[in-house]
Amino acid sequence: MFRHLFTLIWNKKKQNFLLITEMLISFLVVFAVFTLVVFNYRNYRKPMGLEYENVWVVNYNNTLKTTNADSVMLFYEGLKQIIKSMPQVREVSYTSANIPFTQNSMMNGLDYKGKHINPNYCQSDEEYKNVLQIKMKEGRWFGKEDMNVSKRPIVINSTMKEQLFGKESATGKLIGDSKDLKIIGVIDDVKMKGDYTDAGAWLYVKIDTSSMPGIGRILVSVVPGTDAAFESRLYKTIANTMKDSNIEIEHLTNKLKDINYFALVPMIILSIVAGFLIINVALGLFGVLWYNINKRRSEIGLRRAIGATSGSVSAQLVSEALILATLSLIAGSFFAIQFPLLNVFDLPAGVYLTALALSVVFIYILVLICSLYPGRQAAAIYPAVALHED
Amino acid sequence: MIRLQDIEKVYRTDTVETLALSSISLDIAKGEFLSIMGPSGCGKSTLLNIMGLLDAPTKGDIRIDDQKTVRLSDKQLAQFRNKKLGFIFQSYHLINDLKVLDNVELPMLYRSSTAKERTQLATEALRKVGLSNRVKHFPAQLSGGQKQRVAIARAIVGKPEIILADEPTGNLDSAMGNEIMDILLQLNKTEGTTIVMVTHDENMARKTHRLVRLFDGSQVQ
Ligand SMILES: Nc1ncnc2c1ncn2[C@@H]1O[C@H](COP(=O)(O)OP(=O)(O)OP(=O)(O)O)[C@@H](O)[C@H]1O
Ligand SMILES: [Mg+2]
Repeated sequence: MFRHLFTLIWNKKKQNFLLITEMLISFLVVFAVFTLVVFNYRNYRKPMGLEYENVWVVNYNNTLKTTNADSVMLFYEGLKQIIKSMPQVREVSYTSANIPFTQNSMMNGLDYKGKHINPNYCQSDEEYKNVLQIKMKEGRWFGKEDMNVSKRPIVINSTMKEQLFGKESATGKLIGDSKDLKIIGVIDDVKMKGDYTDAGAWLYVKIDTSSMPGIGRILVSVVPGTDAAFESRLYKTIANTMKDSNIEIEHLTNKLKDINYFALVPMIILSIVAGFLIINVALGLFGVLWYNINKRRSEIGLRRAIGATSGSVSAQLVSEALILATLSLIAGSFFAIQFPLLNVFDLPAGVYLTALALSVVFIYILVLICSLYPGRQAAAIYPAVALHED
Repeated sequence: MIRLQDIEKVYRTDTVETLALSSISLDIAKGEFLSIMGPSGCGKSTLLNIMGLLDAPTKGDIRIDDQKTVRLSDKQLAQFRNKKLGFIFQSYHLINDLKVLDNVELPMLYRSSTAKERTQLATEALRKVGLSNRVKHFPAQLSGGQKQRVAIARAIVGKPEIILADEPTGNLDSAMGNEIMDILLQLNKTEGTTIVMVTHDENMARKTHRLVRLFDGSQVQ
């Protein structure tokens, strides 16, 4: 019977080509959506890696007249102490503008043993890890012992460690063009760009005195339940210390909401577009199958007359649709498999393969649903009636 | 071979009821060649469809080979049609997307058979109707008479005991019609196949063993 169906499909290759193309296009669209969904979902399932509730961000700009590094440092250390002495404050840290949950990025290429990566550069201080409650995977975070050392101490995240060293330990390794960066520790991955975005590679350096004027963020972790009244007190305290600076206080929880929204909007838009496309394709498929079956009423009647049961007639029509689907899925998979093979968007291969499997199942179900009803309808035709019409 | 008892067929649509057949009783012996005649719309096709189990009578009883056919399941009916009956239609009902050989093999697909057996039987059937040189053609590339011969080959490929032919020569000129008629007569004579044929042609009918005339759904002769 299968050979017979293939003969039938082959002899009608012109009509079937259109149907296969339609299924192929819908497969590719579905594949794109599933890739995005699977990727987002996998990221979502990973731990955040930091504590963001009750962490506030102070944005400021440096207004100090002096450029003397020591007096700059003295001033900002003093400010830190003032903030930290407030009873509601747990920890305070200075950091560069690429704080958690912002679009701000600072990236720099880096080569190591023939590998080229593009990690995010974050400037931070000894308290940064505690403010965000980041966990160490190996080694340690910055401390007092990092003063006056010849190699610049850095901390990297797990993603970067895996990219450069695989399963090996990274602590103690020297990297950078002139081997002047010394890895002192590796932290667990932190989803710096929100729930739905992967961590990426991160490299943390300690703020040095010369770069302090360029720093513009203070992370403040407060005790739970701290209210707006304290926020305005904090604002006033900082404003009084830093005359003429533009100060703004934000909450990480809000920033997370914003950046999550930002990540989800393209997926939602794409899903809506894909939804319409799929409805379109489903109606198209349904229409074509329905049309085919009505055009083939006399064939159906004839098959019934020579010994086909109504069940085998509908099975035949559904099988034909599924064979066409299989042909288009083979072609579609060939295209889809190029993405992990050529590493087009730098996504893990597992994401593509999961999306591929889901899309295949999805298209089969779609085709099955679209062909089941016309198929059953065809089977219900009385042979005498079908043969009568000509 | 075929026994019809008190067959009645009423077609009901929303607005009208058509009495297509009323109290038809007919006995057709094994090996008999019977023709059915009558004016258009008198119920000839309806009667043939009921004999061929393509349509159920409203009332009455059909026995084929001494077997009751009412109350057979869809699957049993399909088996019955496949093994015992062969159909020939006025408009051939070939599948245009299949080559001649594949068309003839069709009935064998619905019983257990190997591809080799199917090809062998279909080739033999095509040889019997004189179309051995057209196996790779598509129906569109054949003349009407050739198409009807393909249809006959398809009807006889499974070696059924009964062939039901509804105006098999209706679309053909008299020369081609005679060719088809000769094939049927030959089949009846050499293989002993029971044939029931609907025709409008007195000359054709005269060549058969017996003639049944219908008028307005009733048997008049
Ligand atoms: N499916 C149907 N629904 C309603 N009425 C039908 C149906 N099929 C046939 N009839 C009616 O039953 C009657 C007999 O039809 P049938 O096709 O058996 O005639 P026929 O003798 O074969 O005619 P012809 O010589 O033109 O082929 C006709 O009046 C026809 O209109
Ligand atoms: Mg008729």
